[in-house]
Amino acid sequence: MSDHALKTLAILNSKAPYSDSAGKDSVDIALVFGSFEQPVSLFFQGDGVWQLVQGQDGSAIAVKDYLKTFSAFEFYDIEDIYVCQNSLEQRNLPATFHIEAVQVLNQRDFAERLTSHHTIFRF
Amino acid sequence: MTFINRQIEILIVKKLAVLVTTSPYSNLSVTALDYIETALKSNIELVGVFFYQDGVMHASKNIQIASDEFQAIQHWQRLHHTYNLPLHLCITAAEKRGISDEHNDSIHAIFTVSGLGELVELTTKADRMVQL
Amino acid sequence: MTTLHIVRQSAFNTNDYAQCLQVLGDNDVIVFIDDGCYNLHHHLTNNLIDNLNNNLSKSNVSAINIKLKVIAQHANARAIKINEAVVSKIEMTDLVSLTFENDRVITWQ
Repeated sequence: MSDHALKTLAILNSKAPYSDSAGKDSVDIALVFGSFEQPVSLFFQGDGVWQLVQGQDGSAIAVKDYLKTFSAFEFYDIEDIYVCQNSLEQRNLPATFHIEAVQVLNQRDFAERLTSHHTIFRF
Repeated sequence: MTFINRQIEILIVKKLAVLVTTSPYSNLSVTALDYIETALKSNIELVGVFFYQDGVMHASKNIQIASDEFQAIQHWQRLHHTYNLPLHLCITAAEKRGISDEHNDSIHAIFTVSGLGELVELTTKADRMVQL
Repeated sequence: MTTLHIVRQSAFNTNDYAQCLQVLGDNDVIVFIDDGCYNLHHHLTNNLIDNLNNNLSKSNVSAINIKLKVIAQHANARAIKINEAVVSKIEMTDLVSLTFENDRVITWQ
């Protein structure tokens, strides 16, 4: 049981929202781990950074409440949210997101933070 | 390896859990089964396999693969019966894909109908949780 | 603390391998399986090998002492030749062992 404290989970998000259900599948897992009070951190790399872009509105393409699912993170104490700086720059994206508490990390810090977790899922 | 180290290695049983996300008709699942069976045959305890995303299709009775191709379900049945390998199906992901016990009894008996809570259990129980 | 990276996709087709290289740490292990075997032909792997051989920061991989391995059957099935001077041939039993020899696993698929 003492191992529980050491088992941190990182979920690495690499897909844009909508067209691929990977983003939703990933959020579902994050929220369940959060609801079980297991430590979970979220990472966004590559096209995954599109999930956090400000001003999205999926309602015109039949996606309901896309932004609302992210607001549940705070409720479950999921506060460690990291974005890869390189990925933002490659996409000409500013560091402004539709959720709070997002940390933009350079390559080295992103890598170190990700690999400081015990289990890593990637979607 | 020294005698003592080997004794210690035998005593510490390593626990593994696997998350299967690939479909029964993908060669990627052949790899997943190979990995799992290889682990079962070594000194490793497979605490469970969790099926998510397209991996849920392994549980469907309605999947029919051409007889000269790889039959994933036969391997799951063999591993489940030989090793008591727990096979957990994410029911939400399954229902999305037309697999359900409620209306059409379409889930192979060797699969346990589960939710993502079981994924949390397996992840905390295992020393390593590998996604394939 | 080391990470085992299981690479299953071709860099000629997806970004998964390139993203893997962005998070490498010192002494990490990369195992190419499935379509990841095609990466043995990709310039990213050549760059990585050059970088490891010469300890230069030519490529954007700054980690040192990365071990490259490939499941022989997966490469053979695809007629990919393995240069054992730079990439080790392994079997599935080795991949299972590597899972526990390293502190964590990331699957790039």
